[in-house]
Amino acid sequence: MDQTDPDTPGLAPVPPPAPGERDPDQLLRLVAVGDQQAFEHLYRQLSPPVYGVIRRVLRDPAQSEEVAQEVLLEVWRTATRFDPALGSATAWVLTIAHRRAVDRVRAEVAAAGREQKTDWASSGTEDDVADLVLTSLDRERVQRCVGGLTDAQRESITLAYYSGYTYRQVSALVGATLSAIKSRIRDGLISMRDCLGVS
Amino acid sequence: MPLWRRDLHALTGAYALDALDEGAETRRFTRHLRRCRTCRDEVRRFREVATSLAFEVAALPPPELRERVMAAAARTRQLPPEVARERRFRFWLPTLPTTIWLPRLALATTAVAVAAVVVLSVILSGTSQRLNSARTQSQAIAAVLAAPDARTANGKVTGGGVVTVLLSAEKRELVVTGTKLAALPADKTYQIWLIGPSLVQKSVIRSAGLLPPVVGGLTSPTLASGLVSGDILAMTVEPAGGTSQPTTTPILELSLASKTTKATKATKADKKNQADKKDKKATSKGHTSTT
Repeated sequence: MDQTDPDTPGLAPVPPPAPGERDPDQLLRLVAVGDQQAFEHLYRQLSPPVYGVIRRVLRDPAQSEEVAQEVLLEVWRTATRFDPALGSATAWVLTIAHRRAVDRVRAEVAAAGREQKTDWASSGTEDDVADLVLTSLDRERVQRCVGGLTDAQRESITLAYYSGYTYRQVSALVGATLSAIKSRIRDGLISMRDCLGVS
Repeated sequence: MPLWRRDLHALTGAYALDALDEGAETRRFTRHLRRCRTCRDEVRRFREVATSLAFEVAALPPPELRERVMAAAARTRQLPPEVARERRFRFWLPTLPTTIWLPRLALATTAVAVAAVVVLSVILSGTSQRLNSARTQSQAIAAVLAAPDARTANGKVTGGGVVTVLLSAEKRELVVTGTKLAALPADKTYQIWLIGPSLVQKSVIRSAGLLPPVVGGLTSPTLASGLVSGDILAMTVEPAGGTSQPTTTPILELSLASKTTKATKATKADKKNQADKKDKKATSKGHTSTT
């Protein structure tokens, strides 16, 4: 079931580094020893998905910019703590980014006690998607893999990841049991993992 | 039980997408992750998948962000690397920071400070019931202070502040006070732990209680008992109400080992040293009284 090809990079959608350009894992190792130039390169490669995912969750551009700055600075500050055994540098950075965005949403909801909007249906409206980041081939592949999900799986994953909802909130929103949502998310991710060939 | 396990296992997806409820559920799952290798692998792969979802919505940030981030990085110190990742409590033992043992003069100062905070907390707490418990507490603290073997130790807290401990090995009690500690959100608390010497028994970690909320950078003194010779005091940030075993990396590790019981000679030499120093300075009078 896990037909892993050792030659396939773990992260299918990450573009191969341009000639002479290092990949995020190599860059992060340099950043860890205080290399500011490596950090600039890392910024160039990862700030679009960082900013993009934060903006997708938070919506507000000014706030997204603020959180993106925090995240990128945290990457600089804690690069020394990155452990390649626990995943790729890209996944590490984007996990921090998503986490921070979600934390911000939840802190705000808790503070204001207001209801969250359910605007998941309006996904894919980003006008300024950076095509430079994903080659059209990679993009096609991700979209094909997302397309391979059942509607229910896609809905749950979109609500959890892009809207920053907890699976309980997703369950309340779509009117399915908690265990159904848990499986939809997990099965969907398994399907994408296999489709993308994540090792 | 197996059903409950499988239930937990099903949460890998939600966890990888940061979609678990904060608090008990996340804590329970993180604990489970530590034991479940399959789950860790699964989460790791799911996070790589999530990465592709992030690239799907990639957007160019405004150009000013680059300048700001680079400027901020240029003036931000990086964290030192962790020597051992995910160390367990018993692995702290070799990495203890040097403890600063205060001379007797400082003990007197601490005593005054502790008394002042006790009085302050009595004033601040309105009801007579609280007054009573504060009185009992301050009597207990006074008893520690009055113990012939009372001494203090203090240590710097990661993230700012100092924790001062007044202890009596004889009474097996200690009083813990924090100064300049960072205030915590309402759902978090500082919890203190006593850890037995590694060679004795199983290096038992016992909770020594929670520090009261930080007010103006200070916490009122907290009395803890059950001190065993050779204990290490540690502090962690835990969910409000505390936990039975620490769940986060300690922000303070302080050896409470008594120098007097371990090496009497050394202590005498120390005292002589101190006395010598004071003689040299020739400024202090009356603080060198030997017990």
